[in-house]
Order: sequence, then structure tokens, then C-alpha cells
Amino acid sequence: MSDTVEIEVKRLDFYYSGGTHALKEISLPAYKNNVIALIGPSGCGKTTLLRCFNRMHDLYPGNRYEGEIIFNDMDILSKNIDLIDLRSRIGMVFQKPTPFPMSIFDNIAYGLKLRGVKTRTELSEHVEQALRHAALWDEVKDKLHSSAYTLSGGQQQRLVIARALAVKPEVLLFDEPTSALDPISTAKIEELAVNLKREITIIIVTHNMQQAARISDWTGFLMLGELIEFDRTDKIFTNPSQKLTEDYITGRFG
Amino acid sequence: MKRERKRKIESFIALSLSTLAALLGLFWLVFILGDVLIKGIEALTPALFLNDPVPPGMAGGGLRNAFVGQLMITFFATLIGVPIGVLGGTFLAEYARGRKVARLISVLSDIMVSVPSIVIGTFIYAILVKPVGHFNGWAGAVALAIIMIPVVLRTTEDMLSLVPWTLREAAFALGAPYYKVIIQVVYRGAAAGILTGILLSIARVAGETAPLLFTSFNNSYFSTNMNEPIASLTVSIFQYAMGPYDSWHAQAWAASLMITVFILMLTILGRVIIRWRYGKR
Repeated sequence: MSDTVEIEVKRLDFYYSGGTHALKEISLPAYKNNVIALIGPSGCGKTTLLRCFNRMHDLYPGNRYEGEIIFNDMDILSKNIDLIDLRSRIGMVFQKPTPFPMSIFDNIAYGLKLRGVKTRTELSEHVEQALRHAALWDEVKDKLHSSAYTLSGGQQQRLVIARALAVKPEVLLFDEPTSALDPISTAKIEELAVNLKREITIIIVTHNMQQAARISDWTGFLMLGELIEFDRTDKIFTNPSQKLTEDYITGRFG
Repeated sequence: MKRERKRKIESFIALSLSTLAALLGLFWLVFILGDVLIKGIEALTPALFLNDPVPPGMAGGGLRNAFVGQLMITFFATLIGVPIGVLGGTFLAEYARGRKVARLISVLSDIMVSVPSIVIGTFIYAILVKPVGHFNGWAGAVALAIIMIPVVLRTTEDMLSLVPWTLREAAFALGAPYYKVIIQVVYRGAAAGILTGILLSIARVAGETAPLLFTSFNNSYFSTNMNEPIASLTVSIFQYAMGPYDSWHAQAWAASLMITVFILMLTILGRVIIRWRYGKR
């Protein structure tokens, strides 16, 4: 754990194209090599916040950001940011596994090829490294050229993590990565996340409060688009300063 | 008890009527296909494929010119129609997704699918035959292409829409620009479906006669010049079947059989692809 700030969110407001004010004056620091969990009831804006970090909202016209997100001394919300570069430094893993309709090898190589890695040997090397990193290598090393759809759901999710890791991101965003998985696969992914934070910073959205308590160092609790509380995870779960946070984590609502 | 009896009778009547209707439909289908098969095989000779037509009364005529002409017209129609159809479908499903213009074009091409093909034939006659002054192969290819486009366009649109949106987001999240997402990820996911649509559209136009009557017309001589009138199987069948000579009738039967087999093979290929791609899961 370190106290260097990797990403600093400053007074962030977000409006969907329909006019919905989905995030209200969010400010929080994401410390380097930490796992930051975002929790809150459905519709509170935690996924919306997560998708600001890689500007996923830009895919749909009419969405609007206000405020700043500082990453490497740059405001990633500024107009002249290179989205391709940003998205290679801030990767994302989705709720449902999203392997591409191609072989396991080609899935991992996809991001590398986008970045101009061409030679076969270099690709193979990076692919193996990424798969080892995602603790999937031993399970797939003999069938790298089979379709990624032959893998189980849990393996597919680790494949997707490996694909994101292959391009050596500095931050990884997880959007409820285990909500579609069984308990054993979930445990593997959680273990992976904890191991990965040695090298990268992880921001994870989760519905599962035990999961947040197990793997995160910091937790942000959101409700109705507002950040109610942001603090160290042990503090949030043992001695929250806000009544709302306490009510939520003790299961009184949500 | 009484009610149960009544229900059983009703069920029996419904079952009988629908079985009867199915048998009636099947009867004509088997009759036609059987007729084509029997009379076609009888008339099938190597000369049919190797020789060009000869004057009536002479022995050993064939339809080599029509086979070659048919393949050329269909080939060029595919070459023109498929890229337009696939790119148009891509526009509807990707760039114009959810917009009014996409809905409008979809509805229009659904209408185009059922426009009588002779209308398209006369339209092409007006713009590609009349100004040139004579029938020509290109006009035939363009007419068939126009019939293909809405079929390919709609299947492409449907197949692309079936690719989950999250797959595209995952590719965007890796930093891919939209055109690469479409070409490398979305097309791959929809490839089998699009290919099937293309095959079925070829099968659809391979049997068309009306649009060719007004465009490529026919040619009794062997020709591969698309700027001149060019023979086709369907138009040859039309003319030979109408003609007074038995040898013509026999050749028309054989040609009908060949076209039916060609369309059957395309359809089977399409199904095999679907089963191979989607059947296992």
C-alpha cells in the first residue's frame, strides 16, 4: 500500500444525454497499488463513476462531464486526451465475460496488435506472460488456438483480465466482475485482484459487501449519485462516520 | 364426460384438416420436383454442357453458352450486390443504430424484398438498356444485384444486431477505434450468419427470369462479353419451353434440373454453415 495518489477525482459531475444528473460533486483519491471498492444500492452511480475513468460514456452522444479527473498530471476529461492511449493505461473488465469470437491466443494478442506489436515471438512472449499473470496459463497452455468460447465462465473472465493486463495498464477497472460467476471462480478472481495490486491500482464496483471488505483497502459508498463516505475499508465496515453508510452495510436498506 | 368427448372430436377435426393441408402442399411440391428430376435426368447429356445451341432439327445441341452466361451474370451480380448489402447493413446496425433513418431504410428494404422482380427488370431496362441501345450482360448483373442488396442488407443488419453490445464495449475499452471493432470483432462474431445470408441471396437471384428478359436478354451464340446480350439458363428455359421442338423441351427440363440442384446446394451449404457455427452450442 502506498500513499501516492494515482487518480484524483475532483468535484466530478456527470449528466446522461437524457439530462439525468447521475453523479454529484464526487471527489476522491485513488491511491496507487490499492484496491478501491465502490459500493452502494442499485442505481447509485457507482458503475457510472467507474465508466468515467476510461471515458466509456463518450461512446454515446450527449453525455456530459463536469469537473476533473487527474491521472498522471493530466485531466482525463479534457477534450484533447488521446482515448486510445488512455484506455491502454486504464483497462476495464466487465460484469459478464466478454471474450472475442477468436482463439484464446488472439484474444490476448488483440490489444497488443492494436498497439503495433507484430512479431510472432514478441506476441507469444507477451501472451504467455499475461496468461500467467491472470493465473490461467496452466489451464490453457495446451489449447491456445481453440476458441475462447470453449472456456468456462470463470476462465473466460480470467482470460478477459489477462487480455486487459497484456497491454500493461497502470489501472484496472472492474465492473462487478464476479456477479455472473460461481463461488470458486469468484475466489480465484478475488485472489488475483489482491495479487495484482502489487503492480497496478484497482477500482472495483461490487454489489457484494463481503467482497469489498475482503479485497479492498479503500471503500467509497455512493447513494443517489453522491459520495456519502470514502475511507479505509476497515474503518467503513467497523466504524463508519455516516449514519447512511452504517444503515447500508448493516443491511437496513439496499 | 360429454365435454371431454366434444374436445376430442374438435381436436381430431383440427388435426385432420392441418394434416390434409400439409399433404396437399407436399403433394404439389413433390410432384413438381419429381417431374423436374425425372424429365431432367432423362435429358441430361454431356452435350448439354459442352455444346452451344444448334438450329432445331440438328442433333447434339447444348446450352454451354447459357451455363457460362448464367455463371457470369450471377458472379458479377454478387460482386456488385454483396459489398453494397454488407456495408449498408453495417451502416444500419452500427453507425445508425437506433436512429430513425435506420428504421426507415430497414422498412424500405423489406418492401424491396417483395417488389416483383419484373419491376426491377423494366427499371434497369430504362436506365441501362435503352440509353445503350441494346441488351447487355451488365444490365442483367445490375438487375440481379438490386434484388440481392435488400436481402443481404437485412441479414447483415440482423446478424450484427445479435452480437452483444458488451463485446463492442470490451473492444473499445482496449482502445480500439470503431472501424477496427467492427472489422475485427463484430464481423467475426456475425461471419457465419452474414455468409449464409449471402448464399441465400445468390440462391434467390439464380432462379430469376423476369429481370433478365429485359436486360441481358439471350444469345444463341457463345459469348463472354458482358457488353452484349448474353445467354442465361433461366431465359433459355423460358424460350425453349415455349418453343415447338421436343429437343428444346428436353433441354429446358435438363436446365431446370441443373438450376434447381444449384439452388439446393447453396441452401444446404447455408444450413451446414449455420449448424457448424451455431448448432453445437
